Amino acid sequence: MSDQTANLEQVMPEAKTAFGDQRGIGILVPLAILVGWELCGQFGLLPRYIVAPSKIIATWWEMLSSGELIGHVGSSMFRQSLGLLFGASCGTIIGVLAGMFGPIGRFYEPLVSLIYPVPKVAILPLIFAWFGLGDLSKIVVMTISIFFPTYIAAYHGAKSVNKIHLWTAQNVGAGKARLIRQVVIPSALPDIFNGLRIGLALSFVLMVTTELVVSTKGLGYVIARAEENLRFDRMYAAILTIAILGFCADRLLLKIREYFLVGQLMSKDRGHG
Amino acid sequence: MVDASIPMSAARASFLDVWLARVWRLYPIFVMLAVWEAIAHSGLISPLLLPTIEKVAQEFWQMVVSGDLVFHGSITLQRALIGFASAIVAGIIIGTALARVKIISRILEPVFIFGYPIPKISLYPIFIFIFGFGDMSKIVLVFLECLYPITIQSMYGMRNAERVLVWAAQNAGSSNARLFWRVLVPSAAPAIFAGIRIALPISMIVTIITELIGESRGLGYVVAFASASFEPARAMAAFVAIAAIGFCFDRSLNWLRQKVIYWQADAPSLT
Amino acid sequence: MSQSARIVPISSGISRPPQTTSEPLLRVESLTKTFDRKGTRVIALDNFNLNVDDGEFVAIVGPSGCGKSTFLHMLGGFESVDGGTMSLNGQKVTRPGPDRGMLFQEYALYPWRTVLGNVMWPLEVQNIPQTERTEIADKFISLVGLTHFKNHYPNELSGGMKQRVALARLLALNPKILLMDEPFGALDAQNRELLQEELERIWDTSRKTVLFVTHDIDEAIYLADRIIVFTARPGRIKADIRIDLARPRAMEIKKSPAYTEYRNHIWDLLREEVLRAREEYAS
Ligand SMILES: Nc1ncnc2c1ncn2[C@@H]1O[C@H](COP(=O)(O)OP(=O)(O)OP(=O)(O)O)[C@@H](O)[C@H]1O
Ligand SMILES: [Mg+2]
Repeated sequence: MSDQTANLEQVMPEAKTAFGDQRGIGILVPLAILVGWELCGQFGLLPRYIVAPSKIIATWWEMLSSGELIGHVGSSMFRQSLGLLFGASCGTIIGVLAGMFGPIGRFYEPLVSLIYPVPKVAILPLIFAWFGLGDLSKIVVMTISIFFPTYIAAYHGAKSVNKIHLWTAQNVGAGKARLIRQVVIPSALPDIFNGLRIGLALSFVLMVTTELVVSTKGLGYVIARAEENLRFDRMYAAILTIAILGFCADRLLLKIREYFLVGQLMSKDRGHG
Repeated sequence: MVDASIPMSAARASFLDVWLARVWRLYPIFVMLAVWEAIAHSGLISPLLLPTIEKVAQEFWQMVVSGDLVFHGSITLQRALIGFASAIVAGIIIGTALARVKIISRILEPVFIFGYPIPKISLYPIFIFIFGFGDMSKIVLVFLECLYPITIQSMYGMRNAERVLVWAAQNAGSSNARLFWRVLVPSAAPAIFAGIRIALPISMIVTIITELIGESRGLGYVVAFASASFEPARAMAAFVAIAAIGFCFDRSLNWLRQKVIYWQADAPSLT
Repeated sequence: MSQSARIVPISSGISRPPQTTSEPLLRVESLTKTFDRKGTRVIALDNFNLNVDDGEFVAIVGPSGCGKSTFLHMLGGFESVDGGTMSLNGQKVTRPGPDRGMLFQEYALYPWRTVLGNVMWPLEVQNIPQTERTEIADKFISLVGLTHFKNHYPNELSGGMKQRVALARLLALNPKILLMDEPFGALDAQNRELLQEELERIWDTSRKTVLFVTHDIDEAIYLADRIIVFTARPGRIKADIRIDLARPRAMEIKKSPAYTEYRNHIWDLLREEVLRAREEYAS
C-alpha cells in the first residue's frame, strides 16, 4: 500500500503537500548563482560582455533616476500598447463576429489559415518602405501580427459556445444582441484571454525587434546603441527593464483574467454534472 | 447565427462538385489578389511600393533559377529547424523532469514560469557576442524561445495526467516504466503537441527577426536588403518563400499530430 | 408562480373527467427525426404521435437513448424537424419561445453567473425591475433549498445542486408549458422526494402543462396524469397510460394497491423495451 502511494507521488509531485522540506532550494539556488556571478565579477573573472549584477543594478538605477529610462520606456510602451490595442481589438471583435455569423467566418477562414502560420514580421522592411521609419510602421506590424492569434482564439471561443447554453438563451426569449453580450462573449472569454496572452507576449517581442532594426528612442534603441558603444551595463539595464515590463504586463493580464473568469476558472469537472 | 440544427447531407455530391466547392471556399484569397492587382495596375501607388503580381512572380522565378532561393532558403530553414528540433528534445526532457522530479522542479520551475513572458529576443545582442555573428547565435535564440512553451506544456501535460487513469493503471498492477510509457506519455501527448505547435511559428519568427537585424544570408536578409535597395518585388518574392515555409511547417505538424494523437479532436492553434 | 395561477377546483377522490374532443393544446403528428453521422444514420424518432391537453401532466418513460430528450428538444424548437408536424394551440412550432420553458438534462447553467445570477437571468431578459427580480429569484432559490449557496458559482456545486438551480431558473421563467428532461435525475433520494412534492403542489395550484421525462417509474406515477412509454429506438409510443389517482397526492399514495398495479404494469412494459434496446445496441 505505502509502496503504491509512494509510486503515485513520484509520478505526480503535486499530490504531495505543497510545502515540502526542499522548498528553500527554489530560492537558494538562484541566490547562490547570483552571489557566484557577483563574486566572479568582483574578481574580474567574467568576460566583458557579462556584467556583474551590482553593476547592472547601479546603471539601471542611474538611468532610472536621471529620467532617461522613463523616456525610453514611455516611447516603447506607447508603440507596444497601441499595436496591442489595435491588433487585439480588431482580432477579438472580428473573431467573435466570424464565429457567430457564417458568411463573415467563411470570408476570413481561408485568409487566416493561409496567413497565420506565416511569420508576418518578415514584411517589416516593406512596411518601413511604405510607412516610413517612424512609429506608424512599428504599430502597423504589431497590429497585423497580433490580429491573428487573437482572431483565432476569439473565433474558436465564439464557435464553440455550448449548444445548450445558446438554447437556454433562446428559450427565455433573449434577443440577438443580448445573446452575444451575455452568452457568446462570456463563454468565449477564456479563449479570448488565451489569445490576448499570446498577443501580449508577441507585442513585447515585436517592440524589441522593431526597435533593434531601426529606432531613435526606446528600450531596443538603448540596447542597439549600447551594443555599438560596448556599454554592456546599459544593455543589461535595458534588458532588465524589458524583462520587468514583460513580466508585469503578463501578471496584470492574468489578474484581469482571474477577475473576469471567476466562475469559469473553478474546479472544472469534479465527477458529477 | 449559430446553426443549432444539423444539416442533412444532400444526395451524394459528385467529385467535381466537391472540388468546385473547395475552390469556391477560397474566393476571399482571389478577391484580395484581384484588389492588389487592380491597385498595382491603376498607377495610384508607385510600383516602387506596390509591384504587380506578375513582377513578383517573375522575381520569384529568377530567384529559383539563379539558385538564390535554395541558398538562402536552406539557410533559414536549417536555422529554424535545428533550433526548433533541439528545443523539442530538451523541452520534453526538462518538462518531464520538472513534473516528476521534485528537486528539479523546485530549482528550475521558477526559471520557466517567471521567464515565460519575458521577450528573450532582447538577449540577442549578447548572444552575438557570446556565439558570434554566424548561425550559432541565431540557433541558440530560436532554441531558447521555443524551449519555453514546449517545456511548460510538457510539464503540465505530465503533471495533469488524469489521476483516475494513473490509479486505474496502478490498480491493474502496472509497473513504473509501463505506467510512464503507457499512461503518462499518451495522456501528456496532446499538451506536448500544443507546446510544439506554439513553438513552431515562433521558430520561424525568431529566425527571420535575427536575419533582419544583422546578417548577410537567409531569406530574412533578402527581404531586408531588397527593400532597402528599392526592389520590392524581390522582397515580396522572398516573403512568399518565407510564407510557404511557414505554411508547410504548419501543415506537416498538423498531419503529424493527427497521426500521433488521433484520439483527440483538432484544437485550434494560436500563433 | 402565483402570478399566473389558475385556481382549478380540486376534484379530490374522483378521477379527472375524460378529455373533451376539442382541439388539444399540443398536437404532434407523425414526427420524425434522424441524425446523420459519418456513414451511419440514427433514427431517433419515427412516426411519433401525441396529443396533450391543456393543464395535463404527462410523464415520459423509455429506455435510454430512445429519443426522449430529442423529442423535448424539438418541442422546445431547438432541434429541427425532419418530418411530421408539431402544433401548439394550432400554431406550428418552429422556434424556441419563453412559453415553453425547458429544463435540460445537462442543466445548462451559465458558469460565469452565480446561482442567483442564473435564476435571475430569465427575469432579466423579460425586463422585470431589479427589486422584483431578486425577490422572485430568492423565492425559488429557497424553494429548492439553496439559499445558502446563492452567491456560489455552478462549478462549486454538486450535480444535484446544479439541477436544483436549473429547476429554480425554470420556475422563475414561469412558462405556460414546462418541458422537463429528467429534472430530478441527479438528486439524492430525500431532495428528490421533497421536490416531487413541491412540484405536485405547484402543478396543483397552477395547472400548467408539463412534459416530464424520467427514468423513475414511482416518480412518474406519483406526479403524472398520463404516462407515455417509449419504445426502444426509434422512439414510438408503446403505451399511453392514464393514472387515475386522486389529487392532491401525498407520498402515502405509493402504498395504495392501485399504485402498485400501475407500477407493475409499467415496469413490465419498460423491461421489455430495455431488453430490446440492449439487444439492438449489442449487435
Ligand atoms: N446531436 C446528435 N447527433 C447524433 N445523434 C444524436 C444526437 N442527439 C441524439 N442522438 C441520438 O439520438 C438518440 C436519442 O437520443 P436522446 O438524447 O433523445 O435519448 P434519451 O431518450 O433522452 O436518452 P436518455 O434517457 O439516456 O437521456 C440516441 O441514440 C442518440 O445516439
Ligand atoms: Mg435524455
